[in-house]
Amino acid sequence: MIDLLPHIINGLTLGLLFALIALGFTLIVGVMEVINLAHGSLFALGAYFALTVIGGGWFSGTPFGAWWLSLPPGLRYVLALAIGPALAGLCGMLLELCLRPTYGKPPLYGLLLTFGAALVVEELIRLVWGTGEQNLALPQAINSAFLLNGMIFSTYRFFAAGFSIVAIAAVWLFLERTSTGAVIKAGAHDSEMVRALGYDLAKLRLLVFGFGAALAGLAGVVMVPIWGLRPHVGVDIVIPAFLIIVIGGVGSFWGAVIAALLVGLAMGITGAYAAAWATMSMYLLLIAVLGFRSRGLLGRKSALEN
Amino acid sequence: MISLSDIPARPAAWITLPMIVLATVLLATPWLLPAVGLYQYLGIEIAIWIIFALGFNLLFGYTGLHSFGHGAYLGIGAYAFGLFQHNIAVSLWGGLLAAVLAAGVAGALVGAFLSHRRGIYYALLTIGFGQIFWFLAMKLHRVTGGEDGLLGIPRPPLTLGPWQVALTDNLALFYFAAVLLMLVAVLGWRLANSPFGRVLQAIRQNETRARFVGYEVWRFKWAVFTLSAMLAGLAGSLLAMAQQSAYPDVMSLHQSGLVVMMVLVGGGLVSFWGPVLGVVFYFVARDVLGGLTETWLLWYGLIFMAMVMLRPEGLAGMLHGLSRRRPPLPTAATAPATEAV
Repeated sequence: MIDLLPHIINGLTLGLLFALIALGFTLIVGVMEVINLAHGSLFALGAYFALTVIGGGWFSGTPFGAWWLSLPPGLRYVLALAIGPALAGLCGMLLELCLRPTYGKPPLYGLLLTFGAALVVEELIRLVWGTGEQNLALPQAINSAFLLNGMIFSTYRFFAAGFSIVAIAAVWLFLERTSTGAVIKAGAHDSEMVRALGYDLAKLRLLVFGFGAALAGLAGVVMVPIWGLRPHVGVDIVIPAFLIIVIGGVGSFWGAVIAALLVGLAMGITGAYAAAWATMSMYLLLIAVLGFRSRGLLGRKSALEN
Repeated sequence: MISLSDIPARPAAWITLPMIVLATVLLATPWLLPAVGLYQYLGIEIAIWIIFALGFNLLFGYTGLHSFGHGAYLGIGAYAFGLFQHNIAVSLWGGLLAAVLAAGVAGALVGAFLSHRRGIYYALLTIGFGQIFWFLAMKLHRVTGGEDGLLGIPRPPLTLGPWQVALTDNLALFYFAAVLLMLVAVLGWRLANSPFGRVLQAIRQNETRARFVGYEVWRFKWAVFTLSAMLAGLAGSLLAMAQQSAYPDVMSLHQSGLVVMMVLVGGGLVSFWGPVLGVVFYFVARDVLGGLTETWLLWYGLIFMAMVMLRPEGLAGMLHGLSRRRPPLPTAATAPATEAV
């Protein structure tokens, strides 16, 4: 008999990480009804920008670079945690500008455009940062292991899981408790009315996309020490994110969080018995859920079905 | 923007001008390719992908169902062909049949699940199923050879009654693929212009209305998905012969996306022949841009993005626009040219 407890704990932390990845994705889908296949690429961009910030990037070799690398690693990590997502957010805004001609057309066009964007970003990453696998240098404080109940757990994994709980709570509070959040949610339901009330919808969409992209970048910086950084990490990551959105119900915030935890648990428990097949469990979960509920766990009818 | 439905219904001729043009170009390809500095094998690749793309467009352009996992059926065809040669008999027809049937069965099963879905959920599920097949190809090591692929697939000779032609030469294989391609093109054209094809277009325009008119929409969606999977399987068997191996690579999301990109760039949304243009454009871009720069995929991706933003009707739509803006010429020769698009 396998002791399932550590696998369940691993599954739950994995689920929280998935939820962090899916957070920006679900925001963009919910508000703009765009399935952003480039979400994973923004994730990768955030991580690569962080890599450059932590390692000094193009300045390593210059006096400025030498001074930069003499800063404590913890400080550089915190700066990377801010700058990486911010730059990813800017890239997201650029993508939103490209998406504008597709508004009002079938959702396929948004899907296609972001697919092309994912391809372009991946190639750009190869061009700028090279094709090899790299990794972020983590500060010592969060990069260790501890014993719990006779099992070894990595501190960083728990740091990342805690981080995603905070991020999920912050986004939820923003959407539910601030007036900007209210406008964003209203824009998702009735864009005409929001425009009639005098809000600049174009600016709103730009901001939402930038915010969602920054969340993707943030997930990238936090997640990549666990998964490794390679040019196609974006494609590897967008697939679970996107299965989670579908399982949870497109556009549903809590649906995505629940689905992420479910997927994490399924992968953790499958991993206990047949590690090579863990990835398969999320596809089976998708088929099982959609077999019974065609709009996912908490999904509602949306324009995406037309 | 024009769409397929703007093209007036006309009695579908068995042979149309674009077919003659395509057949002529195919006949001449072995001479054309070296003349522009390209190699024979490219012709086979293009013919295979045209078969795949024509079948895919019945689903994508005609019915408006967006599959992002169609590489799976190409891969299943390739594996089925290889496994047939390895385990049952070295036979061309047997292998082709096995590939078409295997891809057809997989497509029919997935299609049965998909056909009650609409819009984005349809597209998302095709990705899910495509990933499952890809994953199986990677993990069922004993059957598929895992990441290394299925190696040493023979090219069995073509036997027609007493005649036997070896296909070991790339030229012979190209002509074989070209004949299959013409068959697929002629039959596909007939089908697209049949009442069945009209129902497919009705589903694309308004699925609810098509249902209310009295069509059992899901049956049509299922049939066209299965058919396009079978054609993908046929293309896959040729791919297995061309490469003499089968890899899980073609089943990945990336490769499945490629056929979508080819069809859209070519103008599959507005034209039966668009996918042909798209495939040729892709391979020429790969070899010409690829010769100039290592990052050709970056440029191809940018071209694709620009197309989606500005000209989603693709190359075929642009040609169609040109031919319509031109004042009508008195000669009859130009009239069928517009029919092409």
